[in-house]
Order: sequence, then structure tokens, then C-alpha cells
Amino acid sequence: MIALTLLMTFSAVSANAQSKDRRKSFKSWDNYEITTEKVGVDGTKFVKVWGFGRTVDAATMAAKENAVHACIFRGLPGSATAMSTPPICPNPDTLASHEDYFQTFFAAGGPYLAYVSMTTDGVPSGTDRRKVKGGYKVGIYVQVMYDNLKRKLEADGIARKLSSGF
Amino acid sequence: MKKSLAIAALLLACQFMGWSQAKKPTIMVVPADAFCERYGYVQQVNTMGETVSSPDYSRAMKENADIRTLVSAMADFMAKNDFPIQSLEQELKRLQTEDAEMAMMTGRSGGEIEETPLERLRRTARADIILDLDYEIHRVGPQKQVSFNLQAIDAYSSKIISGNTGVSSAANVPLTSLLEECVLSFKDNFLSGLQHHFDDLFANGREITITFLRYDNCPFYFDDDIEIDGEDYEFGEWIEEWLQDNTVEGRFTTGASSANRLRFNQVRIPLYAQNRKGRDVAIDADDFVKPLVRELRKKLNVTVGASPRGLGDVWITVGDK
Repeated sequence: MIALTLLMTFSAVSANAQSKDRRKSFKSWDNYEITTEKVGVDGTKFVKVWGFGRTVDAATMAAKENAVHACIFRGLPGSATAMSTPPICPNPDTLASHEDYFQTFFAAGGPYLAYVSMTTDGVPSGTDRRKVKGGYKVGIYVQVMYDNLKRKLEADGIARKLSSGF
Repeated sequence: MKKSLAIAALLLACQFMGWSQAKKPTIMVVPADAFCERYGYVQQVNTMGETVSSPDYSRAMKENADIRTLVSAMADFMAKNDFPIQSLEQELKRLQTEDAEMAMMTGRSGGEIEETPLERLRRTARADIILDLDYEIHRVGPQKQVSFNLQAIDAYSSKIISGNTGVSSAANVPLTSLLEECVLSFKDNFLSGLQHHFDDLFANGREITITFLRYDNCPFYFDDDIEIDGEDYEFGEWIEEWLQDNTVEGRFTTGASSANRLRFNQVRIPLYAQNRKGRDVAIDADDFVKPLVRELRKKLNVTVGASPRGLGDVWITVGDK
């Protein structure tokens, strides 16, 4: 009996920890899915990105944030017809060394919104809108103004220009 | 007072910035040899009795509108990155005009412009970084698809700085659209490769090649023991010691060493050095070897000449110039 109680307690604690881990991974900025859909028009990237939030709106905003985050820090994966795109800031220490800058940049309604535009009309639906524990996970098609974003970060001294030093 | 101090500080900063700019490499897009062969843009050249086929860039640029589209698209994104590329077509035209003008030039007293065969040979279109471009059109049923291959090659070390290959989408659209799609597809990866190369250049110095050649009137061979500063050295050994002392972290590789020829490659030189007036200036391969040439002339009492072949390659001739 004692053994059974212990086993049940252990299982409950373990399930709770797993659930917490899962929630953490949903909220983690390093855990999002992004795919390059096709080659965008000059200076832009056309991607499908997923975001997580308590409401559909919050998840959509998180997805937009993730799209810009990927262009700056992670890079975009390639697809059958589009090559991969390298991150604008390949140095892994960039986020930590310019934390204040990026706090402001990615603040709610912050400057990052100027570099991303949604290409789908209305609220995501069907398989692109999933109800998960604690909120919604949505996938949206967005166009990121990659070249403009790069130039902004170069002008602000965050990214190096190709011609700097010459 | 404050205003004048601020202006003085600004001027000083401008001067410092001016001095601390490294020499900018020139970049040129060149159709790949394979592309020229495939489309018949080749010419037969007789070299020392042997006929060899060589790419005819002038014809390729004139007759192939697609390659012009690709070059224009690449020139556009490079210019947007403050790195305008040299036009091969214009450079070839300039050389033709230069040839004609030099043939007609005479001084007021009837003198003519002198040019040795070597100088004539070296007066060709050249760049520090060559963008070797190749593409092929494939048919996928009624649709077209373009596969491309772009390599950025360091002209002196022949190292590939950035390589990009890929295919466009298959579509029934004008070829120009597919070619533009290709450029947009590889653009950012290509720029990232170049950036990586430049970062390495600033961190570890410019990579150059130095070749020593011996004229027959040089009193010693390169593998001979000669007396320098009262000590017996093999000539090559003394040069290696000089390079160990003057390169970035003593980095270089002895590529070839014989009685008449010494070749050092992967020689990492600093981007800046002090000139005779003590100012920091940007340097290239020719500037880097100047102190070595002066030292050799002084210590060995022989004629030594330096002949630059671009930003990263220099020939040093011993025994004559």
C-alpha cells in the first residue's frame, strides 16, 4: 500500500514537472518553428512562423516577434526552392551584450513591428490555429523586410556592415 | 573655445578614421570557364606553339543578355552594401581604349611611351576577389528551372571564400525572372560568406603570397650560405626569419624552396603599418615587402626589385629589377 502511494505521488510529481517543462518550452524564445516558404521579392523573406500565446491575438503577435527574432539571431532554414538565410547577427553574444537595445526593440508595439507584415488576412484558422493547454499555437505567413532590418541594425551599431573597416 | 575644441577633435577623428581604413579589395563578376565552354564563348590562343582554348569574356558579355542580367542584379545588391563591383565589360573596353591611346601617344619632343612585354601582359582586367559565375537552364516538362553556382575566389590564394549552389523554382516564366530569383536566393548567404572572410582579414591580417625569383646575374643561389651581419645563413633561412618577425603571429607557409625560386604563401600581414613619417597607413603586399627589399639591398649589396601583382601578391627579384 505504502509502495503504491509512493509510486502514485512520484508519478504525479513527474507529470507536473513534465507539464511545467512543456509550458516553459512553449514560452521559450528559442523554441519556435519557422520555415522559408519561397524566395521573397527583393530585400524580403517570405516565411511561415508559429507563435504561442494565451489568446489567438497574443499568439499572432508572438509569431511576428519570432519571425524578426529568427532573422536577427537564428537565421532561416532553406527549402526545396529557397536557400537558407544566415542570421543578421551571427555572434551568439549579441543578445546578451545589447540586452537593453533588444528589450526596447521587442517591447509590445516596439520597432520590430515595422519590419514584419502579415500576408494572410484575418485570424489564422484550421490547422494553423491549435488550442493547446494554456492558450493557442498559431502559424502565420509573414513577409520580413530583411534588408531594411539589417540596415537598421547596422545603423544602430548592432550588426557589422560589409564595408566597415575599409 | 568649446566649439573650436570640438571641431579640432572632429578633424582629428576624421584623420584617424582616414588612416585606419584598410585597402578595399576590388570585386569582379566573371563568367566561369565551364559556362564559356558550354555556350561556345571561347577563343583559340597560340601559346608557345601550343593552341589552347581560352574564355572569350568580351563575346560572352556582348552576346549573352542573361549573364548581363545576373551581373546587374549582383552589382545592385553589392552597391547597396557599399561595395560596388568592377564591371568586367567596362574594364575590357577601357583596356581596348587604353591600347589605342598608348599606341598614338607621343611626347612634344617625339618621345614614345615605353612598355615592356611583361607590363603589357599584366595590363589586363583583374580583381582581388573574383566572383566565378555559372548557371545552367533545365527543362522540367514545359517549365524551366535554373541551377546556379557562384564562387567568390581570392585571386591570390585561389581559396574559395564563399560558395553557393542551388536551383530556382520550376516555372513557365521568362528566364530573366528565374535568374533574378536565383540571385535573391543566394544573396544573403553569399554576403555572409564575404563578411566572414573580411572578419578573418581584420582579425588575422591579409593573406598574401611572396615569390622570390633569381636573375642569372645574382652572385649567389638561394640555397647558398651567405654572410649577413657577420653570421652565415642560407638565403631562404634568413628570409624565413624576417617573415617570422614581421608577419601576424609569425604565420606563413614556405610553398617552394629551390636554388632559384622561393615562394611563401598564406603569409598573414597586418592591415596597417607606420610609414617613414610615423603615420599609420593601410598597407598591401607591395608596401609590406618594401622594408625587406631595402634591408636586402643594404645587407647583400645586390640589386633587388619588387613587382606587385595586386593587393595580395608580390614578386621580389634578386640580382636585377
